[in-house]
Amino acid sequence: MSAASESELQLLIERARAGDTRAFEDLARREERALYRHALRIVGTTSDAEDIVQEALFSAWRSIASFQGLSFRAWLFRIATNRALDQLRSRKRRPELPLDPPDDDDITWAEPVAPGPDLTQLAGDREALAAVETALGALPADQRTALLLRDVEGFAYEEIAVITSVEIGTVKSRIHRGRLAVRNTLISQGWRGPDG
Amino acid sequence: MTLQHPHAELSAYIDDALDPAAQAAVEGHLVACALCRSHVAQLRATAAFVQALPDPVPSRRLVPRLAAPAWLAPLRTLMTLASGAAVFLFIASAVISNITFLTSGGATGTTAQEASRDTAAKVQAPAAAGPASTPSPAPAGSGNVAFGLSPSASPLPDTARAPQGAATDDPRTRADRSTAVPPGAPGAALNPQDAGRLTSAEPQRSLLNPWLWLALAIVCGGIAIALNRRLRTSV
Repeated sequence: MSAASESELQLLIERARAGDTRAFEDLARREERALYRHALRIVGTTSDAEDIVQEALFSAWRSIASFQGLSFRAWLFRIATNRALDQLRSRKRRPELPLDPPDDDDITWAEPVAPGPDLTQLAGDREALAAVETALGALPADQRTALLLRDVEGFAYEEIAVITSVEIGTVKSRIHRGRLAVRNTLISQGWRGPDG
Repeated sequence: MTLQHPHAELSAYIDDALDPAAQAAVEGHLVACALCRSHVAQLRATAAFVQALPDPVPSRRLVPRLAAPAWLAPLRTLMTLASGAAVFLFIASAVISNITFLTSGGATGTTAQEASRDTAAKVQAPAAAGPASTPSPAPAGSGNVAFGLSPSASPLPDTARAPQGAATDDPRTRADRSTAVPPGAPGAALNPQDAGRLTSAEPQRSLLNPWLWLALAIVCGGIAIALNRRLRTSV
């Protein structure tokens, strides 16, 4: 982000904190789609994701006076992520994998059984992307959340720790486990990893 | 190389999330370990894959409309009330129209007025057709008989009274006669005063038109619904 847009952002945040509704709407509009894709990949249904984002933005507006420290974007993601995870926990009908998986030492690295297509050659492959979506959907919610915050939204580990309210070591573990699980899914579908 | 395969550190390594010492240790290991290099490349490619996932678009606006104008809520209430009142007036005017229709034996107030107008034209026509110096001996009660057919008829028009005052040869009367048109012609026996009376009756007839109120109710209801939706997405 350029210095000009950074200062513009700070100005908008200050105006929003002072009660300027239009400034808040401006800020929220910038993150609307990112929050939606994040919520959608956590909860899996479009209507729930839309409701979560809308409620999160309402909630953010009501509590904007208490915003401090975190980046505004991370703050919005924290509210939306908490709502999405709460929604997921409250779903009794959908069996969910445990939120706290075992330690990293238990992770196994699946190896390709036969030479297949190189991952880098599949980068634009719809089938491969669909496989990644499926693999993400099968991850425990906390791993999925951490991986999305890192790989899709580009948050730093420290920010993810604040957003998800866990220690940075846990964030590191969740991201690695999630990424490895997706990689293993692709391997199981015949993908051959790029040669190191 | 003292470090065992640093599998658990590889994701943090590619994300530059390790402290400098750990980062250097992993780098040192990678120089000598082809397996870990391969794993790092796979994890990088996996991260790129996750990043490349398509961006879904919400089906509706998710940003709450915080800046809703203060007049929005009162206007919605007003429109709701107006819609309700229009529905009431629709029902009331429909009932009144039916009652009028039944009591006039099938002829509506409008047709009764038109009948009286036709009759007035017939009364006035012979006077206009004959010479001004020979007044036609119109029966004094002819106008009353003619308008007696229609109790709701408007007062006797000037043109209908003309035969009674024809002997005076009043210039105004002559002027009225000169403008008279034979019966059956379009606009027959409609002098400006009559036209004025008829146009003043138009609003009354419009107010009794149930469809006017129904249309008004639909419009107001539509606006109220739209405003309500707008307010629902506002704080």
